[in-house]
Amino acid sequence: MTTTSAGRTWGAALAACALLALSACGTTHENAQPKPSGAPAATKCGADGKYTIGMSQANVAEPYRQRMDDDIRKAAAGVPQFTVNFADAAQDNSKQVEQVDTFLTQRIDLLVISPNEATPLTAPVKRAFDQGIPVLVLDRKVDGDAYTEFIGADNVDIGRQAGQYFAKTLLPSGGKIAVLRGLAGSTPAKERQDGFNDGIKGSSIEVVATADGDWLRDKGQQQADAVLKAHPDIQAIYSENDPMAEGARIAAQNAGKADLPITGIDGLPIESGGIKAVSAGRLSATWIYPTGGKEAIDSAKRLLVDCQQVPKSQTLSTRVINKANADQVYAELNGS
Amino acid sequence: MSEQTRAPADVPPVGTDSGTATGPDASAEQLPGRGARLTEALFKFQSLFGLVLVFVAAVAFSPSRGGELVFLDSQNLFNVVRSISEIGILAVGMTLVILIGGIDLSVGSVLGLASVGAATLLMNNDVGVAVMAAAVLAIGLGFGLLQGFASARFGIQAFIVTLAGMQIARGLARIWSGGQGISITYGDGPGQAPVLFSLLGERTFNGLVPIPALIFIVIAALAVVLLRVSAFSRHVYAIGGNEKAARLSGVPVTRVKIIVFGICGLLAALAGIVHAGQLNFGAPNDGAMYELDAIAAVVIGGTSLMGGRGSVVGTVAGALLVGVLRNILALNNIDSNIQLLIIGLVIVLAAGLQRLRPASVSS
Repeated sequence: MTTTSAGRTWGAALAACALLALSACGTTHENAQPKPSGAPAATKCGADGKYTIGMSQANVAEPYRQRMDDDIRKAAAGVPQFTVNFADAAQDNSKQVEQVDTFLTQRIDLLVISPNEATPLTAPVKRAFDQGIPVLVLDRKVDGDAYTEFIGADNVDIGRQAGQYFAKTLLPSGGKIAVLRGLAGSTPAKERQDGFNDGIKGSSIEVVATADGDWLRDKGQQQADAVLKAHPDIQAIYSENDPMAEGARIAAQNAGKADLPITGIDGLPIESGGIKAVSAGRLSATWIYPTGGKEAIDSAKRLLVDCQQVPKSQTLSTRVINKANADQVYAELNGS
Repeated sequence: MSEQTRAPADVPPVGTDSGTATGPDASAEQLPGRGARLTEALFKFQSLFGLVLVFVAAVAFSPSRGGELVFLDSQNLFNVVRSISEIGILAVGMTLVILIGGIDLSVGSVLGLASVGAATLLMNNDVGVAVMAAAVLAIGLGFGLLQGFASARFGIQAFIVTLAGMQIARGLARIWSGGQGISITYGDGPGQAPVLFSLLGERTFNGLVPIPALIFIVIAALAVVLLRVSAFSRHVYAIGGNEKAARLSGVPVTRVKIIVFGICGLLAALAGIVHAGQLNFGAPNDGAMYELDAIAAVVIGGTSLMGGRGSVVGTVAGALLVGVLRNILALNNIDSNIQLLIIGLVIVLAAGLQRLRPASVSS
């Protein structure tokens, strides 16, 4: 911790450089610790290269996105040429822009990004793409077409399927239901609601209450508590993700309605995920929202190792999880 | 850092007049004015020293490419400054508030409100950049003045007032935006933002210096000047040092407090405009938790949360320190969870060092 005053002066000069840096500071230094980095030319490909992939994640605190990273990690472990660096933007657009810039500084060979929001990440993704770095966009698209491939599921379609399930299977003769929405102002919350409304169109299902659960289990419980107080006659709850649905289940039990049908979305194949919840009977159904992590590494392999092209867009299909198939799907998704 | 840690661990009692120093430390105390300036200089030195330390560490641990250190690449250094420019602007305002012994928890939400306001006014109301900026800055200023008024005039703690303000601004942002992020596209047609606004996302001087970084530097410089030469500055430090004494000696405490909160709100709104411009997007959830990052920058910069001690230069150094630290951790692919731990430890360390400092005077 102690430094000579000469060293301090030297350091201060460097700090001043960082602060103002109107001319480039000395970019060579003898104390350098050489560290292997990926091949400089991103347009290179072939089986004998070594490739560094940058994975820019919007928010690892969400189990879905943690699972996406895990899927990527697992798939990349099977490709000896790949090293994956992970960054977490903690739900902050600005931070994610900064992290993509840092990846570009590191001269990664391929960028995988799951954008927090589309528009703010469009420019940095374009910067990468324009430098010849292939960009795989997961889950949420960026604007324009300056990316290599989009891999994701369709939230509107999932919402629609859920709506149709309510209209045809759950409440074929109609009824009153409540909707637990995700975080107000987030794109998937809107899409899952729009799709759902589309799906129940023409049926005699009536949405008597809509509450924002912010994607969170505790918020879902609070909101469902209030909804069940205000509308004790509702016959089912549509929750836009599994954690809020689990919270609503606790609220329903507390309100003496343990049998109230509640559905979720996401169907993560993890111990605390929606598939297990359906299997245990806490949720009536959920729809898988695939992470695309494995598919991203497949595409990266085709681009970098096999020197092939990939399609511009890959829509991942959802599937409904119910009591009948839950255990089987769980085993399937964790097997390979 | 070394000479500071050697100072006796003399913790100034909370809320009392720090002018009467105790113990072996008393020798460091001088006449008010000159003493304050001396101590202040020491403070600045200390926080800058931390930055230097982190900077040197970053150079030492920088990955290299073709014999060149990636960290020292000018593009990378400017990425660092750009990445902290919004937090830095917030932190400058926060420094003033904390200097008077207050806190402003609303800045992140006000940033979100301003970001939404900028996007909405440009895209949906078709106003020009100047009108938009004036309107949004006025909203931020007004919001801050109101909070200052509530806090100073009615004696409600700033923590409570701004906690409420944080909720209110976030609610307003959600209402104004209709609960959705607003994308900003550029062009001359109706429903498009003037191309001028896209400057905020660009770089100048051969595409090297990001505009937001320039704005941050200018704001910081203005604040440094404000705290160096004006009577206002003496009032700010006096209120933070001992509010009662300041009031008795004729400092217009209420007015100064209101103005300080107004400046903080104004800067939060400015940061919001920069935010929307950098991202071409104004969303109601923008700036969530930024208040905590700003407070962290102020604390690492050596400003006392008790008020009365600290400087804008320290805050700038604090913000840069966090930026450099985050950058070098990312360049070395340190896990993001570990990054949180390290930055948390740095905040604790900075706060700990602050307590080891000799008590200071300001009037």
